[in-house]
Amino acid sequence: MTTVDIAFLLNGRPVSLSVEPRLLLSDALRHHLGMTSTHVGCEQGVCGVCTILLDGAPARSCLMLAVMADGRSVTTAEGLSDPLAEQLRDSFQEHHALQCGFCTPAMLLTAHCLLSAHPEAGESQIREALSGNLCRCTGYQFIIDAVSSLTERGGEGDASHG
Amino acid sequence: MAEEFASAPHFVGARIPRTEDSRLLRGEAQYLDDIQIPNLLEMAFVRSPYAAARILSVDSSAAWNIPGVRAVFTFADMPFVLPQNGPSPIDQPVLARERVRHAGEAVVAVVAESRYIAEDACEAVHVAYTPEEPVLDMQAAQKDRPRRVHDAAPNVFYHQEYETEGFQAAFDTAPHRLTMTFQTTRQTACSLETRGIIAAADPFSGRMTVYCGTQSPHRLRGDLAEMLQMEEHLLRVIVPEVGGAFGMKAATYPEYLAVVQAARLLRQPVKWTADRVESFLSDVHARDDIHDLEVAFDQRGQIIAVKDHLMADGGAYASYPFSGAIGETSLAAKVITGPYDIAHLSTVIDCTYSNKVPLGAYRGVWGPVASFVQEGMVDRIAQFLHLDAAEVRRTNLVQPNQLPYRNAAGMLYDSGSFTESFEHALAQLDYTRWRATQEQARRVGKYLGIGLSNFVEPTAMASSEAGSIGYESCSVRVEPSGTVTAWLGLGPSGQGHETTMAQVLADQLGVDLEHIVVLHGDTDAAPLGGGTGGSRSGPLGGGAAMQAGRKMRERLDVYAAHMLEAAVEDIAWEHGRAHVRGVYARHVSLRDIARIAYNDVRQIPSGLPIGLEVTERYQPPRPVSFSNGTHAAVVEVNPSTGQVTVLDYVVVNDCGTLINPLIVEGQIHGGVAQGVGAALLESLVYDDSGQLLTTTLMDYLLPSAPLVPRMRIEHLVTPSDGALGVKGMGEGSLIASPAAIAGAVNDALSPWGVSFERLPIAPRDIVTSLGRSSAAPV
Amino acid sequence: MKPAHFEYFRAATIGEAVDKLGGDPEARLLAGGQSLIPAMNFRVARPSQLIDINGLEELKPLVARLPENILEVGALVRHQQIATSPLVQRYLPFMATVALSIGHWAIRSRGSVGGSLCHADPAAEWPAFMVAAGAEMVVAGPQKYRRIPADTFCSGFMETALGPGEMLVKIEIPLAQGGWGFWEVARRPGDFALAGAVCRRHHSRTTVTWFGADLSGPGTVTVESEGGAGHGTHFWEDAASRVLAVDDDYMLQILGYCADQACRQAQSDEGRDYDNR
Repeated sequence: MTTVDIAFLLNGRPVSLSVEPRLLLSDALRHHLGMTSTHVGCEQGVCGVCTILLDGAPARSCLMLAVMADGRSVTTAEGLSDPLAEQLRDSFQEHHALQCGFCTPAMLLTAHCLLSAHPEAGESQIREALSGNLCRCTGYQFIIDAVSSLTERGGEGDASHG
Repeated sequence: MAEEFASAPHFVGARIPRTEDSRLLRGEAQYLDDIQIPNLLEMAFVRSPYAAARILSVDSSAAWNIPGVRAVFTFADMPFVLPQNGPSPIDQPVLARERVRHAGEAVVAVVAESRYIAEDACEAVHVAYTPEEPVLDMQAAQKDRPRRVHDAAPNVFYHQEYETEGFQAAFDTAPHRLTMTFQTTRQTACSLETRGIIAAADPFSGRMTVYCGTQSPHRLRGDLAEMLQMEEHLLRVIVPEVGGAFGMKAATYPEYLAVVQAARLLRQPVKWTADRVESFLSDVHARDDIHDLEVAFDQRGQIIAVKDHLMADGGAYASYPFSGAIGETSLAAKVITGPYDIAHLSTVIDCTYSNKVPLGAYRGVWGPVASFVQEGMVDRIAQFLHLDAAEVRRTNLVQPNQLPYRNAAGMLYDSGSFTESFEHALAQLDYTRWRATQEQARRVGKYLGIGLSNFVEPTAMASSEAGSIGYESCSVRVEPSGTVTAWLGLGPSGQGHETTMAQVLADQLGVDLEHIVVLHGDTDAAPLGGGTGGSRSGPLGGGAAMQAGRKMRERLDVYAAHMLEAAVEDIAWEHGRAHVRGVYARHVSLRDIARIAYNDVRQIPSGLPIGLEVTERYQPPRPVSFSNGTHAAVVEVNPSTGQVTVLDYVVVNDCGTLINPLIVEGQIHGGVAQGVGAALLESLVYDDSGQLLTTTLMDYLLPSAPLVPRMRIEHLVTPSDGALGVKGMGEGSLIASPAAIAGAVNDALSPWGVSFERLPIAPRDIVTSLGRSSAAPV
Repeated sequence: MKPAHFEYFRAATIGEAVDKLGGDPEARLLAGGQSLIPAMNFRVARPSQLIDINGLEELKPLVARLPENILEVGALVRHQQIATSPLVQRYLPFMATVALSIGHWAIRSRGSVGGSLCHADPAAEWPAFMVAAGAEMVVAGPQKYRRIPADTFCSGFMETALGPGEMLVKIEIPLAQGGWGFWEVARRPGDFALAGAVCRRHHSRTTVTWFGADLSGPGTVTVESEGGAGHGTHFWEDAASRVLAVDDDYMLQILGYCADQACRQAQSDEGRDYDNR
């Protein structure tokens, strides 16, 4: 079996490994690099639980080959450690924004990206940004509340949805 | 209910954030597929491409030759079955035996060093089939047409009839009668984490450890022991973090047996994790009901009698241990009158086999269809009589002075707030204002609709998809250092039991939450319990925690009284310290007591045993406890595209005492979202050859964030007479919501006289039903 | 759901990629992978070889060539780049609107404009947009480069005019004047559209380009009309039924609806003043 040597930054630390070209990035992260917060739900790019940040932007790790991460920077929920990440975690807990928790790491990563890029986001924009992250437990409302409370408006002033 | 608490309740009733969350938010939680075990092999299945066929031959020689393949199994290698009880028992084989009976049935199991290799090997296995004509239509199947699914048994595997005395006369003499047929297509729980299982021999004891995201750990252990002829005490089931279950993960599945047996045969750990396609082809499906209904009523809309032929397509086998078809129909028949006072009922039930995936449990089981039937019936009556939909509901609701109320099917509604929840919901929604808005909107070509859904939710039943244990167990141990460990036999998948059960225990023991840990899901540690399902964990698990906590507390009071030289009645607890009531200066800590109980045992008050451990089992006073409530939805329908937008959503919910309102609200939100799916999006579609067309999340549409409305929730509290006054509440939101949303869509389309009696309602259905005109007829 | 085996080759130049592609009819180019990799996970797509072009800087320009009035979009420019680029916002803001309607954020940040065009899914937005915009595809082949007008690029259901060994390098989009409108109907936001329409209005000329509806590729109708957007749903539905091979009443109705909505947008958009004028 031919393998390809790859090296990339994983949560800020350099990693290198030798992979079969067909190995999905999601499997590489989960089963070769121990980052099991990267969940797998459909391997088709729909459910969003495998979302990671690739060079800071959300991406589906099930729709990437591990070889495509070569030379890039990958962030998983384990690596979210800045103050905003901690605020998000606290807010998710306080608002009961998770139940089974399976979608949660990906939800945090997407929300983190959104709040970094659009701290002014209102409810509709939050819902749109999270539309590619399915949750089967919460009905999204407490997730939206958790994210809204960290925007510049602090969850006030956008009753446009619904 | 205050007397239920050993201490003044600080924790029960409080909106307490969950203790589970920290590990989940840090990505540290371990779900099944996250578990790393050395030398773990992976299983994959060759699944039937046909709905019905004879297996002529299996050639796996090419698969064996692939490097990394460790085994290829057929039924001959693991001749086990999941048994079915009943008049004409049909067993479900672990791997197909001679025949395949649904597309996706597992035929061959391959074990390899990785899932990638296992899938390569599956492709290399050649199975020769002779296709047979599939049985796909449940009404034809009742007449054994086009043929029997199982040669040995008729297609109807469950038939029941019931009629109240005097039904026919009441029905015949009623002023009005309407006929309607309600239907739900197949849907499924579709948890985001797929099913999976690992079996690994425990290197220390030689026993078999099974990791599985099941809702019912003890039952799974028992099932594996019985079906695989293993000794139960040599099996240990551990439930890791579970990424959603919703009833679907309560069943024992053929794949589970295959994995455990493979690990036994290969003497090496084996794992199977379903991919999403396998999930759609092998997780139990749900719903798939037809209700042929006739309703008789008077001029005021008072319903006099209901006649219902309930049908469900059970699929190829009765799912073990809970046939979804029987659950859907037999339970629906018992509560088809909902919270309405209807004197007469006649029901006929037919459950049939087909060449489809077995039908099992999905949150609410019978409920979504029963509510859809019952609310749809009321709306049709209102329409027929040109009465307001709310008014007809008022006319029919069970009144407060009728409680406890025995419905026409013989079910006892122990308590509830039917009229109150309905009126509160109308007020919350501002029903009158929305009616005015609806009228104005129609004038400018916008079509709004209001849907109302009153529901009853039987909870804490002796039997559910989780099993037939009508009690729950809790063990509590005060550790030598004075902290508390508790175990329950529950199988949570996000419901927050570690928090809610700790809340109950904290109030009983007078200790703070952070000094309690609640464990579950390990059959080696937890006392035998019934698992999670059928909205039983709050009332039964909570009851067990209360009872165990109280028992422990009684013992601690004796210690404290002895040490403080006071009367037992004078002992009060706060923050893990006992004091003499009113005299805070005289106190002992739980730690002081624990030290004596374990280490300084000569100081133990006479009559008490060494140590601080209790196990209690709680059985509720009634076989079922009813929650209730009202959902109200406002939607806008775009008649040009058929797109439906939910504009407003109100829930008034009464589940008795709330242990944690935050968690209750989370449950409600999630159920309503699933209701949006059930009403508008989710449908498993088979083609004429029995192929499941919807095997991906591009085809089976789960609600996403922009589609789920913001919900407004009000709680009413009518306590049960069980422990703490708690009633179950996990399913009511999905029981009520499809009916509310579908009712709203029908209301919006009322200018066209269109009324949908089949779920889900897709945009195409709407546009097609309106004909060529996107403006309402004048 | 794991891909079958394939050979992996990371191309360093366009020439290298084209050589490899020409030498193996079962080889596929790997761009964003947002359509190809799921197909491989299902083992519906089983390329013998993947030629990874993600490292090719020549495929990544996003520039306005003002003397020529052209926006040049490299084949590897990601949808999200289009959605957020200040340059696009300045010279062709409508393109950002279209980009934002594609899939979800995580899909947009990987999926490429060129990949989407070459995949030629009839429900995709870019092929229709490119036709409406009068774009030209610049294609590298084994011997030479050639240009393919957008309206002949998508030649059938998931088929393009690309010949063996050819790859899309960039797209040249005229910085067109006039008003733009876009509407699509999907079951859920971000899903593949059931149907959609791009409308462009310039002077008295209204062009509607449809996509989705199980078409073999984008279909266009041009209407010369002084009147406002007020043709209405039925007008466009009739137009669609004449021009497109669609006999499904529901699809025709939403095609008509999308066209009508897009035209209304285009009319109100026409008065806007862009920097490029």
